[in-house]
Amino acid sequence: MAGSLKTPSPPRWLLAELTYSCPLQCPYCSNPVDYTNIGDELDTEEWKRVLKQSREMGAVQLGFSGGEPLIRKDLEELVQYSHQLGYYTNLITSGYKMTEARIIKLKQAGLDHIQISLQASSKELNDFLAGTKTFEEKKKTAKLIKKHGYPMVLCVVLHRQNIHQMEGILEMAIELGADFVELANTQYYGWALQNRDQLLPTQQQLQQAEAIAKTYQQSQQGNMKIYYVIPDYHESRPKACMNGWGTTFLTIAPDGQALPCHSARQLPNFDCPNIREHSISEIWNKSTAFNYFRGDDWMKEPCKSCADKDKDFGGCHCQAYLLTGDAKNADPVCGKSPHHKKIHIAIDQANKNSEQPLLFRNSKNSKSLAIQ
Amino acid sequence: MNLDTNKPFQLSTTYRLQWEEAQDKFVLLYPEGLVELNQSSAEILQLCNNTNHLADITVLLEKKFETSGLEDDICNFLNIALDNGWITQNA
Repeated sequence: MAGSLKTPSPPRWLLAELTYSCPLQCPYCSNPVDYTNIGDELDTEEWKRVLKQSREMGAVQLGFSGGEPLIRKDLEELVQYSHQLGYYTNLITSGYKMTEARIIKLKQAGLDHIQISLQASSKELNDFLAGTKTFEEKKKTAKLIKKHGYPMVLCVVLHRQNIHQMEGILEMAIELGADFVELANTQYYGWALQNRDQLLPTQQQLQQAEAIAKTYQQSQQGNMKIYYVIPDYHESRPKACMNGWGTTFLTIAPDGQALPCHSARQLPNFDCPNIREHSISEIWNKSTAFNYFRGDDWMKEPCKSCADKDKDFGGCHCQAYLLTGDAKNADPVCGKSPHHKKIHIAIDQANKNSEQPLLFRNSKNSKSLAIQ
Repeated sequence: MNLDTNKPFQLSTTYRLQWEEAQDKFVLLYPEGLVELNQSSAEILQLCNNTNHLADITVLLEKKFETSGLEDDICNFLNIALDNGWITQNA
């Protein structure tokens, strides 16, 4: 554990990835591609320790995610415990196999909000992308969520295969009574990076989709809030990843690894600390991993002398590693990066309309990728 | 959106106002979102209780802080809060 120069701002967001298990097989899943190699899940008491210590440090927004968090039998117990600690509790779920009884139990436990995801606005495409027949059931679940008085976010991950359905997706959100819609353009890490040639949309597709989203943003004002998450490959300024490394977000993976961002475990030799060995306070304030990209001492050019360095913090370090081989390089999305051409090459490559089939996120594919 | 001086304000049902000891400030919590509030914003939102109108909020805060001429600032903030959906005047 390295020392840090000054006390960092406290964590405000805790993402509790309860499990990597999931009945869906989405080819853009943000879980690690080698998830089948990852060790034992934390037990209930270990999660409670994480929740208590993080809350004491200042975390107040809490996301229960995965994989599919509904798979955990102790979900209600963890929700209740978190509610008592004063968290705002969010459940981030596919909604698949979510019974009405469970929706009621979670409400009684104090769950504040449910985010449900759909893959597309048509049954055929949704079920193809999920790798599981889920469309009708998910829609039924969404209606039950609203019936029981939860605020609901409908999340749809956008990419080349579904972005033409933008209008249908937004009409579906209205039909289901969503309070918020998150239109999240795919970010290319993990499984999505494996499938980038088949998922990356064209500039024209994005412009059309964004125009439709804007129209609905206006017409739905006051009823349904629509968030459009920009696709960074088509930008020339990088995103301010995680609002700055180790400033706001704390992710705990199913095996207890503490991550400054949920993709960080793919950085090589990064040695993320584990909650089985360290307290959250030690991890947040003192660990090498959480201090690694704090401040700007780590920066190389062009970041070091860039006027925007306090605005975008050099962009996404995981993306820099994945595309340039060095996490300390500027995010190649940045127009000033000497590696920026790699982004254009990726876009050109995807525009060739690959015949390669999508690689679905499942144990068989994970095992074969882990060997590579 | 322009506020209605004849209607009371209330916090929207999807939003929760909460004091955070670790940060020494009020925060507004909603699905997957968090707004850290400065003192004046928090003072105003605490008075959005389904009873107070603009005039009531102004009187209460001017009295509390022993000052006058707050109405414009309060009005500006309430309009922002309405636009963001943090509060409503539907009742």
